[in-house]
Amino acid sequence: MLKIIMVALSLLVAIPAYALDGTALLKQIDRNLNPESFESYRKLINIEPDGKKKEYTLFTVKKGVDKVASVFLAPASEKGRSTLRLGDNMWFYIPNVGKPIRITSLQSVVGGVFNNSDILQLDYAAEYDVEKAEEKGGEYLLYLKAKTKTVAYDRLKIWADKGKMLPTKIECLTEANMLIKTLYFKDHKDFGGGIVRPAVIETDSPLYKNYKSILMYAKVKQRTFKDEIFTLTFMSNLESLR
Amino acid sequence: MRTFIYLAILMVMSLFLPALGAAEGDYTFDLSETEKKPYHFGGYVEFKPVLFGLDHDSAFYKLRYFNDPQGQTLSEANGKVQLEGSYEKESYRVYVKTNTDLKYSSQDGSSEHSVFYEAYGSLKPSLSLKIDVGKKTLKWGKGYAWSPVAFVDRPKDPDEPEQAMEGFIMATTDYIRSFEGPLKTFSFTPVILPVYDHINDEFGNNNKLNFAGRFYFLIYDTDIDLMFMTGGSRPDHYGVDFSRNITTNFEIHGEYAYIRNARKTILDAVGKMSAMEADAQSYLVGFRHLTAFDLTTIVEYYHNGAGFSDNELENYFAFVNRAYDIYQSTGKAASMASAKSLADGAYGRSSAGENYLYVRFSQKEPLDILYFTPSLTLNMNLDDRSYSLTPELLYTGFTNWELRFRTSFIAGARNTEFGEKQNDYRIEFRVGYYF
Repeated sequence: MLKIIMVALSLLVAIPAYALDGTALLKQIDRNLNPESFESYRKLINIEPDGKKKEYTLFTVKKGVDKVASVFLAPASEKGRSTLRLGDNMWFYIPNVGKPIRITSLQSVVGGVFNNSDILQLDYAAEYDVEKAEEKGGEYLLYLKAKTKTVAYDRLKIWADKGKMLPTKIECLTEANMLIKTLYFKDHKDFGGGIVRPAVIETDSPLYKNYKSILMYAKVKQRTFKDEIFTLTFMSNLESLR
Repeated sequence: MRTFIYLAILMVMSLFLPALGAAEGDYTFDLSETEKKPYHFGGYVEFKPVLFGLDHDSAFYKLRYFNDPQGQTLSEANGKVQLEGSYEKESYRVYVKTNTDLKYSSQDGSSEHSVFYEAYGSLKPSLSLKIDVGKKTLKWGKGYAWSPVAFVDRPKDPDEPEQAMEGFIMATTDYIRSFEGPLKTFSFTPVILPVYDHINDEFGNNNKLNFAGRFYFLIYDTDIDLMFMTGGSRPDHYGVDFSRNITTNFEIHGEYAYIRNARKTILDAVGKMSAMEADAQSYLVGFRHLTAFDLTTIVEYYHNGAGFSDNELENYFAFVNRAYDIYQSTGKAASMASAKSLADGAYGRSSAGENYLYVRFSQKEPLDILYFTPSLTLNMNLDDRSYSLTPELLYTGFTNWELRFRTSFIAGARNTEFGEKQNDYRIEFRVGYYF
């Protein structure tokens, strides 16, 4: 009997050490970053080594795990251009061209360090499986592997603040663990409606030495949308949702 | 010429605006940038000097300059001003886009042509339904350089496939439905296109009310469109297109159009004109591929079922040469005038032949030069092996500015489509500014 009690007690003590459920952590991080369906405004700034900047402003809407669309509001040369992602399908609409064309996650419609999958980011849990989760001081470290070959980065390493359950740093890697870029999450801000998340994401890449890209968030708020918004036919009308 | 000076001053002044912005040290997100106004006003101005290297022996040179011979080269200054504005209130919206083309050459002096590219009103009773009435472009099809299923649009220029185009006056609706399952999206776009005096009268036969429609499906991750056009201004058209990603970085697309009783006027070997009427099939297959080092390749094969065979084109060029010889020996220009009227019709159109290959390579940001894209484009008539080859350098690093340097080499034997073009080469520099 004593043996049974000892075993039971040791299991109770041991459970917390093995209970690190990486998938649940990732889903929690996803939800803390954004509500499942929401709208937001983002400013993307590309900074060149000489300090020269180019800025883009986007309005973005997302629904569920696989639907996201963005429309460029500025600068004038990009105004009205929109992007749509339905799962692995991505399209880009240029008003002059007048029809959506299929694009890929690795392309970049803006140039610089950010590519299309950064701009049309789905939930991490929708695209990645957690291979391993560790505790590192005040942070969790999650090792992610892409579910399919269609994902832009084969592997991710996410450092997340234990208390806030929000990422502080993400490394994007190739299958051979070569670093493509690093995202730094900064400036936690209360956007209202219970949404507290980093308002700034800085990015650098060994592939673009001394270049930096910054993504700033504003007016992040929960909102529900009809599925019809996330269609090719609606791409030219996305701005009417504002 | 004064217009060009104003245009140049405006563009030079605007060049300093991004520099002022760049002087700021840190970055901010001013919330006023996210405020939506009910109205919008914007536009685009362009200045484009061009140098043409003339081919004095070509049919199209003779047609244009038979009574006004030119030197080895011809220079031209082109300008473009596009203005657009919109006003939106609740579910109503009005949108207008104008285009003004300016041209100046020492030979022809200056000319200006202004037109409304688009001007329409929209009503959106729900997110699933939108009704547009007015002048509009629809841009159907999946092809990059050509779109044989773009039944209610003007033909695309394969040299400038991304340029804005003039629309037609129409009433059209977009009805959208989304589903769970393999069929994710369905949409229907019916179109009514009237052709009467002063309304779309360049579209086709007059006093006709034309109907067109497009059904769109996103099914099994494939875009599929079915389309039709009927009504009498043009022969009945039926079409289908598709686009799909085979892998993340490899997209394939295609279009097929069936044209009932397509009409064309042809010349026989002795220059006798006759009208032909037969069903025609046009189609296009192509792909777009992106490498890990950002090289985009676009390849398209286009069969123009209503186009001219290489024999028919040869007969036309022979007709022009005979007309030119008559003019040279007698001074009579009547034959040149009829050759010119044929050129203004189908013979002078871009992609007038039957089979074409389009290949475009563009390398994004080589040598880590941000916003710089060099590209190389081949457009070849596969029947007579004539072609144009266009290297291009594009830089978009200054906010709202686009700088493009492009040279086209136009090559082919005598009596071939590109060999008989007016120019052997053209060099152009385009400066565009968006505001």
